[in-house]
Amino acid sequence: MTKLSRRQFCMTGLALAGAMPLAGTLPASAQQLKGGTLRVAVLSELANYDPQQLSTVNFHVIKNLYDSLIEYTPEGKPEPSLATAWTISPDKTSVSLTLRDGVTFHSGTPFKSDSVLATLQKGADPKRGKNVFSTMSIVKDWSAPDDRTVVINFKAPVPERQILDLLQFLLPIDPKGIDTVETVPAGTGPYTLVSRAVGQGLRLKANPKYWRPNQPVTQDLVFTVFTEDAAASAALESGAVDIVYGGSSRSAVRLKNAGYQVFAGPGPLVQVFRINSTRGPFRNKSFRQAFNHLMDRASILRVGYAGMGQEVALPWAPASPAFDAAYTKTYGYDLEKAKKLIAASGLSADEIKGWKLLVNGSDEASVSISQIVQGSLQKAGIPVELDMRQGAEYVTALLGGDFAATFGAVGNVQKFPSRVATNSIYRTSGNPVLKDPHPHPDYVAAIAKVDAATGSAADVKAAYDNLNKVMVEEAFGVPTNSYDVGLIVASEKIGGITLDIDNLLVARTIGFK
Amino acid sequence: MGFSEARRLLRRLLARRGAALSLAFLAVVALAALFAGLMPLDPLRQNIAESLKPPSPEAWFGTDELGRDILARVVYGARTSLVTAFGAVVIAALIGVPVGLVAGFYGDWRDSILMRCIDVLLALPNILFAMALIAVLGRSQGAALVAVGVAGIPGFARIARAQVMALRQLDFVMAVRGFGGGPAYIMFRTILPNALSPLVVQAIVLASIAILLEAALAFLGVGVPPPTPSWGEMLRTGKSYLYEAPSYAVLPGLVLTLTILSFDTIGRALTAIIDRDETDAIHETAGGGRR
Repeated sequence: MTKLSRRQFCMTGLALAGAMPLAGTLPASAQQLKGGTLRVAVLSELANYDPQQLSTVNFHVIKNLYDSLIEYTPEGKPEPSLATAWTISPDKTSVSLTLRDGVTFHSGTPFKSDSVLATLQKGADPKRGKNVFSTMSIVKDWSAPDDRTVVINFKAPVPERQILDLLQFLLPIDPKGIDTVETVPAGTGPYTLVSRAVGQGLRLKANPKYWRPNQPVTQDLVFTVFTEDAAASAALESGAVDIVYGGSSRSAVRLKNAGYQVFAGPGPLVQVFRINSTRGPFRNKSFRQAFNHLMDRASILRVGYAGMGQEVALPWAPASPAFDAAYTKTYGYDLEKAKKLIAASGLSADEIKGWKLLVNGSDEASVSISQIVQGSLQKAGIPVELDMRQGAEYVTALLGGDFAATFGAVGNVQKFPSRVATNSIYRTSGNPVLKDPHPHPDYVAAIAKVDAATGSAADVKAAYDNLNKVMVEEAFGVPTNSYDVGLIVASEKIGGITLDIDNLLVARTIGFK
Repeated sequence: MGFSEARRLLRRLLARRGAALSLAFLAVVALAALFAGLMPLDPLRQNIAESLKPPSPEAWFGTDELGRDILARVVYGARTSLVTAFGAVVIAALIGVPVGLVAGFYGDWRDSILMRCIDVLLALPNILFAMALIAVLGRSQGAALVAVGVAGIPGFARIARAQVMALRQLDFVMAVRGFGGGPAYIMFRTILPNALSPLVVQAIVLASIAILLEAALAFLGVGVPPPTPSWGEMLRTGKSYLYEAPSYAVLPGLVLTLTILSFDTIGRALTAIIDRDETDAIHETAGGGRR
């Protein structure tokens, strides 16, 4: 088991301070909760059941069908789950896991080391590994000395936090069902699938062989898909559902004022103004740096996210070891500073305009905050038009780099800092927006330095500080604010909410008061 | 339809209370849209500190989520709606009427080909067709205008064709033909002036459809891009703030509804007047025959 550093402790404390005012109930262990049928309204239709394709659309089901090798507490402290112990070698080139005994998959297959190996194999496969693949880049190979032990070897010494992030990200899949996991869940989780009506909802029932004592609390878990946030809120207010998961911040604030319980987890997303530094005026560093001061973060947070979240100038949540609040003040909204940087860029008035701001038209918050930025740019003498695209059309442009600038959220901001490089705009190689060779070698070197920082606390801090400095100087991604994803709004009769480090819905501890 | 006939039509229209009220409302909307620039209203000025305020003496319709004056955006939004309606009617009439005239006048293979093309257009739901066209042309007011206009072509074509078929065998047309009038002269100088009344009604009906369609496109997020004010866009955004600021969606929605209702009321009144004229003409003819 590992200890939190003082820095981590302070940062996670900050995260909790942010979350606690919203938390209205005690943990499950402190309450006598009753079972029954838990009815949850969700705002997204899940894509599939593969835990290695984790995204916000399946946040509500993954932790109810699967278990991780290890878990994090909301404070970022690692806890045993399917792995009861883990030992990191002194040279930090391997980790040895001891697996829990007496666990079975939903199919009845006993949980053994072969399932972890199969899961690692899938994660390391470029085609099947999906979101886990990039995280597996540090892994050299793996072995299973016996049924209860797995050893993972790394290509080079890896920081401890990065190893723990990998273990937390691995959710063992039943080897028998690994090829069909997209359509049939194959986990050890607290609930099993009963039925699914595509576009309407999902019904799960308690796993009778679940290994955690007295969990899950409720016997049935029913998800109903709502396409409108207001309709989900109305369902909660009418008593048709017990919980709304993943609703908007604005609805959460309104419902909180109406007496409902609101829970925000420690794993927010960070909204980032993404700049394609391979295009037009954005090739100019000074021009890009002006955008650090063109973001009216307070207004963006207020209008886009009802004030829930934090203004940030770096892509970190407070729980991240690289979080540094000082940057938010230094790189705050300041039109005069922005104008000076634009003037220092040497670009003419004609050169700085003529580009469009790509906007996700399907996301109301993005439309609003893009108009705020459009207003700020107008004041700075940069008139731009909004290029509104809907749904898949927007995602294609975003991930294909077909834009000059746009807002797009990044995740994994509470994990090990180099995990940010799993987001498209922050990738150090194969970057779909900035392409290869990466136009910001200082950034690539800074990420590599963080990955190699396994020495003293001072060395690690220096690596983080260097990364932060490089990020604001290169300014191809300008973070504006963190915001809550996976918000939980619950009726007063609900108790036992567990906050997940990634803000996934953990229903096993939830019950009725 | 000459100037005196138009004046007579207007006088008869004003004699109907509903139509008179509708005309008055549309006149106010049109004047506001036309002279919006002279009013102390700025639809784009953001004041986040004053966002989502209810109606007040400073902001009669309240403010939106960016602190912009909703009244200003409604007034400037009228420009978007009326320009779209006018443009769509012009496009639809300029293409639809000649197509209908040619098809109805010749009535041979030209009629078959042109009307099958019109049938294809007619078979496509307006909103889907407009969305597909915008997907190709890109999201702009021009694209919305063209999309709505193209969707209105079949209406004009079918009415023009029906009018030509009814008029082409009448004596005055035959007389022009006998004096050596060519097909183009007969179609555009002889038949068209006598077929204008139903086409004017169609123009008014299409105007209301165009406004509704433009608002629907904006509501679906494929209309005029922000920050250009649009009633449909205001409805789309305003529905998310129904709890905090009901006036945000309700007032633009009310103006939109009244505008469409006004066009529709005028269209119905005109139809009733024209129908009555035709009935009177038939009775007159029948009476003359008895004498």
